[in-house]
Amino acid sequence: MRILLIDDDEDLRNLLSRYIRGQWPDAQIEAYDPLERDLPSAAFPLGSYNVIVLDYMLGRGDGLEWLKSLKQRADCPKILFLTGAGNEIIAVRAMKAGADDYQRKQELTRERLIASIRELTATAVERTVSPDLAARMEGHSLGAKVRIPGIKVLHMIGEGGTARVYLASREDDDEPLVVKILRQEIVLNRKALERFMEEYAMVERIQSRHVARIFGHGQYQNNVYLVMEFFEGGDLSKRLGGKPVAPAEALRFFRELMFALGDIHEKGILHRDLKPQNLMFRRDGTLAIVDFGIAKNIAAADRTGAGEVLGTPRYMSPEQVQGRALDLRTDIYSAGVLLYQMLTGRHMFDGETAMEVAMHHLNTMPAPLPDHLAAYGPLMEKLVEKDRDARFRNADEVIGFLSRKFEQEGADITQKLH
Amino acid sequence: MNADDDYKVTVAKDLEDLIPTFMKNRHKEVETLRVALASADFEQLRQLGHRMKGVGNSYGFSRVSTLGKYIEDGARSGDRAALQATISEYGDYLSKVQIAYE
Repeated sequence: MRILLIDDDEDLRNLLSRYIRGQWPDAQIEAYDPLERDLPSAAFPLGSYNVIVLDYMLGRGDGLEWLKSLKQRADCPKILFLTGAGNEIIAVRAMKAGADDYQRKQELTRERLIASIRELTATAVERTVSPDLAARMEGHSLGAKVRIPGIKVLHMIGEGGTARVYLASREDDDEPLVVKILRQEIVLNRKALERFMEEYAMVERIQSRHVARIFGHGQYQNNVYLVMEFFEGGDLSKRLGGKPVAPAEALRFFRELMFALGDIHEKGILHRDLKPQNLMFRRDGTLAIVDFGIAKNIAAADRTGAGEVLGTPRYMSPEQVQGRALDLRTDIYSAGVLLYQMLTGRHMFDGETAMEVAMHHLNTMPAPLPDHLAAYGPLMEKLVEKDRDARFRNADEVIGFLSRKFEQEGADITQKLH
Repeated sequence: MNADDDYKVTVAKDLEDLIPTFMKNRHKEVETLRVALASADFEQLRQLGHRMKGVGNSYGFSRVSTLGKYIEDGARSGDRAALQATISEYGDYLSKVQIAYE
C-alpha cells in the first residue's frame, strides 16, 4: 500500500503515519509538506499511490483547490480529505469536488483513519471484505443512487438501527443538511414505517428552535428519506467524552433541554428516548433534540404495545422499564439521568446487561453527588424520583425551580461581589 | 477534578517517541504566537490557533485545542488583551503539563 500524506503540520504527518504503519507495517508513506513543495506537477506519479490524505488548510495553499486540481488527473487515486470541525460546508465542497471520503481532523482517531483508508482501498471485487465494511459500502452506494429534488446526497456519515445518515447539501447554496434514508427492513415493516413517518409529521408540527428542523421527506423508488438540519456542534455524547462538563455548562444544557421538553410536551408529544446521542448542538452552541423515532403522541401513549419496551436502558424511567402508561414525567426522569451524567461524567447506573441497568432504575438509589456538587442534590432528587408522583410534573416546574434556586443564588453571589 | 488534573495528559504508549517533537513544536509555537501578537499579525495568529485546534486533540492534548480555539476567535475579533492572556496561559500550560504513557 502506498499513501501520499499532504499536510503542512509536521506533527499531524507524524501521527497519521504512525497510525497507518501500526495497521499496515509495510505501507509506504510519503509525507508531503505543502510549505516546502508546490502542488504535485503533471510529472508527479499520482497513480502510484492507493490513497491521498489531503488536509484542507495547507499553510500557503487551499486544500480544496489542490483537491480539484488533483481530481482532474486521470491517474488520481482515492482522496481522504481532512476538514475542520464545525465547518461542514468545507466537507460539502470537498465531496462535491470529488473527495472520496472526509474526516474532521479534530476528531480523527486511529480507528477512524484506518477504517476510512481500508474502505477507500477495498475494491468491489475484494472477497475478503468484512460484513461491516460490505454494509458500509452498500450504504455509500445507496446514497449515491437516491435522487432528492434540490438536494445532493454526498456521503454516509452514520448508521442507526432504523436509518442510514448522510451528509447532503442544498444545491442552491451548499448549505449542509442531513438526509436519513430508512433501512429497507423498516420500509418493508408497515409498523416501523408508520413510526418513521410519524417522526416526520410530529417534528414538523413542533416548530421549536429546540427541536431539529425538518426540511422535507419523500420517497425515491423504494427508499424513504427525511431531510433535516445538520448539527455542526455534534452531539452531547461527543461533548461529554466520558468526562463531566463544568456545572454551569451542565446547567445551561439542562435548561435548554427543559425548554425543548416544554415545547414538545406542549404539542402533546413524549420523546421517550432521551440520551446524549439525541441531543445535538448547533454551531452557536444552542441545543436541539433529534430522533423522535420512538416518540409518541401523549394521547396514544397509554401503552407502548403488548410486551414492548422502547428506549435506552441507561436513561429509562422506572415506569418505562415496567412497560406502564407514560406521561410527561418519563422524559423528566430521563433528563435527570442525563444531568447526573453531565455533572459527574459517570452513568447513573451501570451493569453487565441492559436488563441489569434497567432494573437499577426500579430498585437502586443513585450514588449521591460528590460534595462539590451538593448544591444540585435537591434538584437531582426531584428529577429522578422513582415514584413519579413525587417527581417534577413537567418542564415548567423544573424551569421554575432552576430560576428560584440557581438564578437567585447567582444573583446573591453577584451582589456580594459588588 | 482538582487543578492538577488540568495538566495531566495520557498518550498512547506507541506515540511516546513522537512527543518530544510535538512538545518542541508547541514551545516554538508559543514564541511564534508572541511575535505575531507583537506585530499585530492577526492572520498568522488565526492560522496558528487553527493549527493548535487541529493538532492538540489528535495527540490527546485537549487543552491545546481549546486554547487554539480561543486564539483563533481572539484573532478574528482582534482582541489583543484576550490573545495576550491566552498565549500566556498556553506557555504556563506547557511548562506544567504532565504526560503519562499507557
